[in-house]
Amino acid sequence: MDFAFTEEQQFFKKIITDTVDRMVVPKAREIDEKDEFPWELWKEFTRLGYLGLRYPEEIGGMNADPVTAMIFYEQIARGSVGFAQSVIMNILMGTYFVYRFGSEEIKKRCLYPAMKGEKITTMCFTEDQSGSDLAATRTTAVKDGSEWIINGTKMWITNGPHADVATVLATTDPSLGARGLNFFLVEKGTPGFSPGQVLDKLGCRGTVTGELVFDNVRIPEENLLGAELNKGVDYLAEILDEVRVMTAAMAMGIAQAAYDEGLEYARKRIAFGKTIGNYQLIRAKFADMATEMEASRLLIYSAAWKIKEKLPSRLEAAMAKMFATETCLKVVDEVTRIWGANAFANEYNPQRHFRDARFLLYGGGTHEILKDFMGRMLIGKA
Amino acid sequence: MDILVLIKQVPDPEALVEIGSEGKDLNIEPKFAINLFDEYAIEEALKIREAHGGKVKAITLGSAKAIEALRTAIAMGADEAMLIEDEGFAAGDGYNTALVLSRALEKEMFDIVLCGRQAIDADRGEVPQMIAQFLGLPHVGVVVKLDIADGKTVAESAFEGAKEVIEVALPAVFTAQKGLNEPRVPLITGVMKAMKVQIPKLTVEDLGLTRDMAGPGGSKTKILQYLPPKKRPAVQFIEGEPAHAAAEAVRILTEVERVI
Repeated sequence: MDFAFTEEQQFFKKIITDTVDRMVVPKAREIDEKDEFPWELWKEFTRLGYLGLRYPEEIGGMNADPVTAMIFYEQIARGSVGFAQSVIMNILMGTYFVYRFGSEEIKKRCLYPAMKGEKITTMCFTEDQSGSDLAATRTTAVKDGSEWIINGTKMWITNGPHADVATVLATTDPSLGARGLNFFLVEKGTPGFSPGQVLDKLGCRGTVTGELVFDNVRIPEENLLGAELNKGVDYLAEILDEVRVMTAAMAMGIAQAAYDEGLEYARKRIAFGKTIGNYQLIRAKFADMATEMEASRLLIYSAAWKIKEKLPSRLEAAMAKMFATETCLKVVDEVTRIWGANAFANEYNPQRHFRDARFLLYGGGTHEILKDFMGRMLIGKA
Repeated sequence: MDILVLIKQVPDPEALVEIGSEGKDLNIEPKFAINLFDEYAIEEALKIREAHGGKVKAITLGSAKAIEALRTAIAMGADEAMLIEDEGFAAGDGYNTALVLSRALEKEMFDIVLCGRQAIDADRGEVPQMIAQFLGLPHVGVVVKLDIADGKTVAESAFEGAKEVIEVALPAVFTAQKGLNEPRVPLITGVMKAMKVQIPKLTVEDLGLTRDMAGPGGSKTKILQYLPPKKRPAVQFIEGEPAHAAAEAVRILTEVERVI
């Protein structure tokens, strides 16, 4: 077995770490406080070309394998999870179906500009009564001649209010449940497509999250993003594991940012004449945090490797998402204890990490849903 | 305009450094970075190439790990890189480093050699000048501005708030100071090139040196002991009215600590 990153991946990690330290970390607090889409940073950062991370070199991408992509997701989330969420949406979920099924014309209009940051993309799953339960999707797509008519309201949409390109989950036949689901491309400016309420969130601020309204939105036939009708769930399965492991990598990014703050504090904060890192109870916290973060990373990168090798990874991806996110929640909590009352002050970072960590509980499946799913996989249909 | 940039991989400024047993060696946390001042040198080389054409080659003397620093230079835009790696070079002093690097430079065609003004690990700032000496080239240090136009090369060198403006004939050796430029963040195209590039390596023999000329054997200085910096004393609180406290502070600074 070989657990090491390749020399190339190690180098990539170094470069993206430095880039995030230089460009994102100094802006993280402001992004959180303002809770506005960071346009200036978006322009500066996307100019570097990272939004094409997963796509082939022939179309201007980097052709990064899933392991390398996880390195990126972890580092960008370490910088600012609010910014990372917008960036990763353009890299993965917001463009995947356009890349996979879009015509060359659609790609020219939506994908290639999105890879350069010139267009902002999103993926619309969630509604007020459906999230993890996709079969409950109420947004409809009805065929009318050579057009589809979309009706419905989506909630919790990352980048929603600013999205130029939306991949929308809708049912073409509610009686089929999940088997009636399909993905459709809706572009900004299409009549009937408009942003609704913007959410004021506890954490992951700076990525603008909100409601999108589809009121008799007419789109051409070719905007059905799928080779066959009613295969949406199968197409979603193609990236589901990657999305879950990506969420786990983001969790490690937040955990690392918090851990680093904790480490610095433990080395310099003096109590009873010694730096607090000299006390066994503080040392124990670092031993536990480092152990669980190491275990999380082993899950994340082995699951990513399985995805890369096209080996079964459904169980491992769910495990990685759940374990890394729970570890992240523990780490951000412990760091607020190491920092004492200072962690409660908004002028320091631990409180931001504490709030941000909770965001990852929901995306990629709640842990209640994931545990049920994993249990079913492990036991079988009893 | 062909430019050679000499870079060094140094411990990350945030790496933990502890003095080993009896002060004979240093235990350094294995986190590395390109020397900060060398990044200014790379950026300046790229700007000169963009204005005048030519190529930029980054060279380092170090362990296999130092390839990462060379890859970073390629990611930023350098055309080529070369690693001088040989166990024989380990633990050489500044003189020996300059000797080895100047031997490597003798094999290259160049108009300009750019280096950082000093490496932030040992902070000696001695290698570039010695290289200039070995190669018989002019040297301008601590450069904050470099203009090449109409066949003239004019550098501004900063000293204690003042500046010297120096015209120099090429080829020449320059050392970069903070303020010279703002190093660029690598584009993904550069990163991809850097990930794939094969970096050639040179050894002691390749440079026409014998084993006893490289490393400690070829060094003129020897580190006998490392001593930790003096521990910062506890904060001293001066009580009393402001006027009295200020006078007492002046007395301590001038008579007790003798820092002013």
